[in-house]
Amino acid sequence: MEYEFTKEDLKEIEKIKAKYPEVMPATLPVLWVAQNRFGHVEPEVQRLVAKTLGLPEAHVHGVATFYTQYYKEKKGKYVLDVCTCLSCQLCGGYDILEHLEKTLGIKKGETTQDGKFTLNEVECLGACGYAPMLQITNDKYINNLTVEKTDKLIDMLKKDEEPEYEEIEMPLRKVK
Amino acid sequence: MSSADWKNYEPVLIPNVKDIHKIDVYIKNGGYSALKSVLTDKKKWADSKSVVDEVKAANIRGRGGAGFNAGLKWSFMPPADGGPRYLACNGDESEPGTFKDRKIFEYNPHVFIEGALIAAYAMQITTIYVYIRGEYLAYIKMMEKAIQDAYDKGMIGKNIFGSDYSVDFHVTYGAGAYICGEETSMLESLEGKRGYPRVKPPFPAQKGLWGRPTTINNIETLAHVPSVINRGAGWFSSIGAENHPGPILYGISGHVNRPGVYELPSGIPILDLIHDVAGGMKNGKKLKAVIPGGSSTPVLRADQLEGITMDSESLRTAGTMLGTAGMVVMDEDTDMVDMLWRITHFYHHESCGQCTPCREGTGWLEKIMLKIKNGNGEVKDLDLLLDITTQMEGRTICALADAAAWPVRHTITRFRDEFEARCKKSAHAVV
Amino acid sequence: MPEVFIDGKRYEYEGEQRLLQFIQDQGMEVPFFCYHPSMTAPANCRQCMVKVGQPVKDRETGEYEKDEDGERVIRWFPKLQTSCNIMIADGMVVKTQETDDLVKRAQKDNLELILINHPLDCPICDQAGECPLQIQTYKYGPEGSRFEVKKVHKPKRVQLGPRVVLDAERCINCTRCTRFTEEISKTHQLTITSRGDKNYPTAAPGREFDDPYSLNTVDLCPVGALTSADFRFKARVWEMNQTPSIDISNGKGCNIDIWTRDNLVLRITPRFNEEVNDYWMPDEGREAYKRFNENRVSRPLQKLDNEQVNSSWNNAIATISEQVDGVDKKDVTIIASPHASVEENYILAKFASLLGMNPPVFTPHVEKGKGDGFLLTDDLAPNANGCRLLGFEEKSAAGIAAAVEKAKVVLLLSDHLADRGIITTDKLKDTFVAVFATNHSETTKNADLVVPITTAAEHAASYVNVDGRIQRTFPAKETKYSNRRLDLEMSEGRLDRYGTSFDNWITEENKIDCLPLWRFMSELAAYKGMENFAYTSGREIMDEIAAANDLFSGVSYEAMDEQSGITLDKTKTTVKL
Ligand SMILES: Cc1cc2nc3c(=O)[nH]c(=O)nc-3n(C[C@H](O)[C@H](O)[C@H](O)COP(=O)(O)O)c2cc1C
Ligand code: SF4
Ligand code: SF4
Ligand code: FES
Ligand code: FES
Repeated sequence: MEYEFTKEDLKEIEKIKAKYPEVMPATLPVLWVAQNRFGHVEPEVQRLVAKTLGLPEAHVHGVATFYTQYYKEKKGKYVLDVCTCLSCQLCGGYDILEHLEKTLGIKKGETTQDGKFTLNEVECLGACGYAPMLQITNDKYINNLTVEKTDKLIDMLKKDEEPEYEEIEMPLRKVK
Repeated sequence: MSSADWKNYEPVLIPNVKDIHKIDVYIKNGGYSALKSVLTDKKKWADSKSVVDEVKAANIRGRGGAGFNAGLKWSFMPPADGGPRYLACNGDESEPGTFKDRKIFEYNPHVFIEGALIAAYAMQITTIYVYIRGEYLAYIKMMEKAIQDAYDKGMIGKNIFGSDYSVDFHVTYGAGAYICGEETSMLESLEGKRGYPRVKPPFPAQKGLWGRPTTINNIETLAHVPSVINRGAGWFSSIGAENHPGPILYGISGHVNRPGVYELPSGIPILDLIHDVAGGMKNGKKLKAVIPGGSSTPVLRADQLEGITMDSESLRTAGTMLGTAGMVVMDEDTDMVDMLWRITHFYHHESCGQCTPCREGTGWLEKIMLKIKNGNGEVKDLDLLLDITTQMEGRTICALADAAAWPVRHTITRFRDEFEARCKKSAHAVV
Repeated sequence: MPEVFIDGKRYEYEGEQRLLQFIQDQGMEVPFFCYHPSMTAPANCRQCMVKVGQPVKDRETGEYEKDEDGERVIRWFPKLQTSCNIMIADGMVVKTQETDDLVKRAQKDNLELILINHPLDCPICDQAGECPLQIQTYKYGPEGSRFEVKKVHKPKRVQLGPRVVLDAERCINCTRCTRFTEEISKTHQLTITSRGDKNYPTAAPGREFDDPYSLNTVDLCPVGALTSADFRFKARVWEMNQTPSIDISNGKGCNIDIWTRDNLVLRITPRFNEEVNDYWMPDEGREAYKRFNENRVSRPLQKLDNEQVNSSWNNAIATISEQVDGVDKKDVTIIASPHASVEENYILAKFASLLGMNPPVFTPHVEKGKGDGFLLTDDLAPNANGCRLLGFEEKSAAGIAAAVEKAKVVLLLSDHLADRGIITTDKLKDTFVAVFATNHSETTKNADLVVPITTAAEHAASYVNVDGRIQRTFPAKETKYSNRRLDLEMSEGRLDRYGTSFDNWITEENKIDCLPLWRFMSELAAYKGMENFAYTSGREIMDEIAAANDLFSGVSYEAMDEQSGITLDKTKTTVKL
């Protein structure tokens, strides 16, 4: 398959490049543009990024493989990144992960047959106070998970209903 | 304000003002006045150096984990030579247990932006980047908007407040790599590369982004700057612990009733934080252990906590560190072997793999811990683990290896019985 | 002069210097892997740890502070330092593994860590015997292993490109290979992929590592992770003889080592020469090793009834003599060669001059666009400048063709003119052509007489590179008429020296039936009764040239050996080099 950036992408890429004195710093952001466009940064997409920026393909490959958020292969429509790190582990992150494995019928790292869900175990996402939690496809955080909340989430996603951004206040903050 | 008085503390970093995240509300509540003051009030601020001196006097100890006096760090920048100079704001926030800077992005982005602008002026910096971890998509968007708003209001850009000072401010972000919170790794990442930390020297102040003088500060560190400018160094250093003054964003997670982020003076007793601030232990369980400031800071047993306060000096006497003040609380049911294994897994997963002791050592630590966790450990494995930590500590390019080694060393020594019991059990199981 | 103290001894130094390099330059050693003097120092292997301190100076007086014993007070760095990236400073005090137990311990610890995920396959690894990891483990490493858990598994036998194979499990992540493509060859073809202990070097997916300098990464790799697809599993290092030589595949004259076993050249590797090629050479130059083994002319050949048949040396001598005498001397064309050495070309010219024949002419072997400004040159021959400095007339291709056409007898030295399209073979039909050649070609096939001569791997001779630098070779492989034990110029490998006769391979066919051109010409001269024309070595020829030709004054084998070649004074000649 031939991947190509749209005109809007290219415009955005120009804007990105303008932030830096050199082209190379655009590598990470443009990989993001590519992943947002194509859903992944498979080798072909890495090549497109290299070509667009005039950078060595090996460089782009090295960068793409260093960072875990870039999908180096195709993923399910919803990638569920379940945190099981320190605080989440203490608060039941593994229970949530196992529950999802059971519910979805896949192991962590796998994608459901219908291509709807990919399940991953990930490291701390910076939401430790709201553990256990997961992130959906590099976007929304779903916090304070329970089995019930997880089930509800899966039901919603099956219907392609996107959950809301969850705002969590600072407990002592009393806004006047 | 003393630490003991924390109940009467009125937050300044993220004040109790509705919609303060909006630039108009922020300005209406005195926002950007500190920036205006340093740029235009020549009587008060004769030159940029006077700003550095004030911040140095306030002793804002870096909130990214290392606790270095921010003003002192700024003073390391070489004199301006007309070329580009950079401020890189560290919003990578990835150390397990740490989730505080996001509150600034969400609830008071402009206090950080203003702080960064003052820092930039103080160091005669030409471009500011804020590097946010890629997972914080929501906050990245918020920051992009806030910075655009500040541009639109003339707070960023050319000749701010009619002064001859101009600066640019860009949001950039990562894509999943804890190591990019290490300052020189962050610079590499910003330059579009794999996040390999750099060997020091040269230090970023000499050769940072694109070989130019660069200063790196944590988001919260910078967010403290406007109040130091507005209220003076004396005010700031009078808050909380003497050696580690000022308000702190405490992040409390784990087995407490009210986990979350709290803005309070430094130096609060750990037990107060757990039992009063965070609403006590969940389900009425007994406290077993606390990691005071992110996963790399050595764990303390409950019996070590009496009288220990959240500041670097007190924590050092207790045998640990303040780190990011991201406190993880563990109750009596916590399995320390499982917990430590999970930490070793984290550092193994996040080692950039550049240098030998860390690349190899983090993996070895995890594999032995997994063996012990799975019930196949032997007591000699515990000593091997301790040996490996000595082989890693102080011998690497960056401090990730130390961060990986400390919890192993201290969790084993402080909970040796529990570890030995697990190992002995397995020895019997085999027979 | 600033001073530095290493293991208690004082050294003076000048300028900016890296500590590890300085230590090595003093003939001492600190173990290391990632450091390479011609590339940046990432200090990632962490092997070269030493203890470093700086004397304390009194703030006011600027004098060194002294303790009770009158010794300087030293402030030690709180951590051990990697010596590869630290710059030496005046007064610095250094303790290596020789004098400090903590340093020794740290180096041992580090080796243990490097080894935990390294396969234990030295017995089948090409690098064994010349492996920095193996050597330094023996010297500084731990005795056993405490690693009892599972090793990391990574791709093995990956064909990274046409010439380089990767075993990622052996890789110690020193990044020498990736730095090479970034900093030296600048093709940027390699990167480290993934993170942490999953790291390993690779080309971009679906792309080949076909960098024209790719094989340098094999030399650079401090372990057996990168191996040469061609050389893999062919020989153990200790079985081979290593002989210094010069790359003859182009005009740069990269300094090389020729590795032989049983008189076959098995590989070529670059040899350091700061003035010419630093530590590097192009892959093409390495592939040239085959020329020394394959398709060689062995024993003279003569055309009888339009067919080449084996002949004898005596017959070859008699035939040339007869042909040359049978025509007017003006009808003999002698074609010298940029592919042959200075000595060979000189001897041919001397022969011509003594007999009153036309002086030799030559044509360079150039392919425009081949050069890259680094180590590849447009000039595909090693010695065009040698021909120029000997004063030979340089002709265009057409000029050579015309000279051949009008001649009755052609003596052609080591230049496959027909193969490179300078002459067409039908032009040779009515002319007697004698070729002095190392290898078979279209040109030799159409010759009336083919005289086998030695290659650069079989004789000591000199070549003048594109920059006017004269450098020489050493005989690396025996011919039928040379003997490793008798020829003092020849290298002796470990097996030659210490092995029994059963340890060595002895295949007579690998010794080519050929002679150095000077030996043959001397025989020819003797046959013709010429005087003062008896040469047994390139060395004496060079002495003669240096005495007679101002441009070569001061050149001798001794001088070339001492200075790794001599850049000739170009101002002395009007010839454009
Ligand atoms: C492995 C590692 C990870 C780090 N991660 C972060 C981080 O996520 N955020 C941060 O502000 N500092 C982090 N740091 C500390 C930075 O290197 C640096 O000290 C800090 O950003 C400086 O800012 P400060 O002086 O204002 O604290 C990390 C350090 C190490 C060694
Ligand atoms: S200590 Fe670890 S994370 Fe830091 S540079 Fe070395 S390998 Fe990378
Ligand atoms: S393949 Fe060899 S040269 Fe390349 S990084 Fe690995 S060990 Fe170093
Ligand atoms: S441990 Fe899960 S978000 Fe921090
Ligand atoms: S040689 Fe110094 S760290 Fe590798």
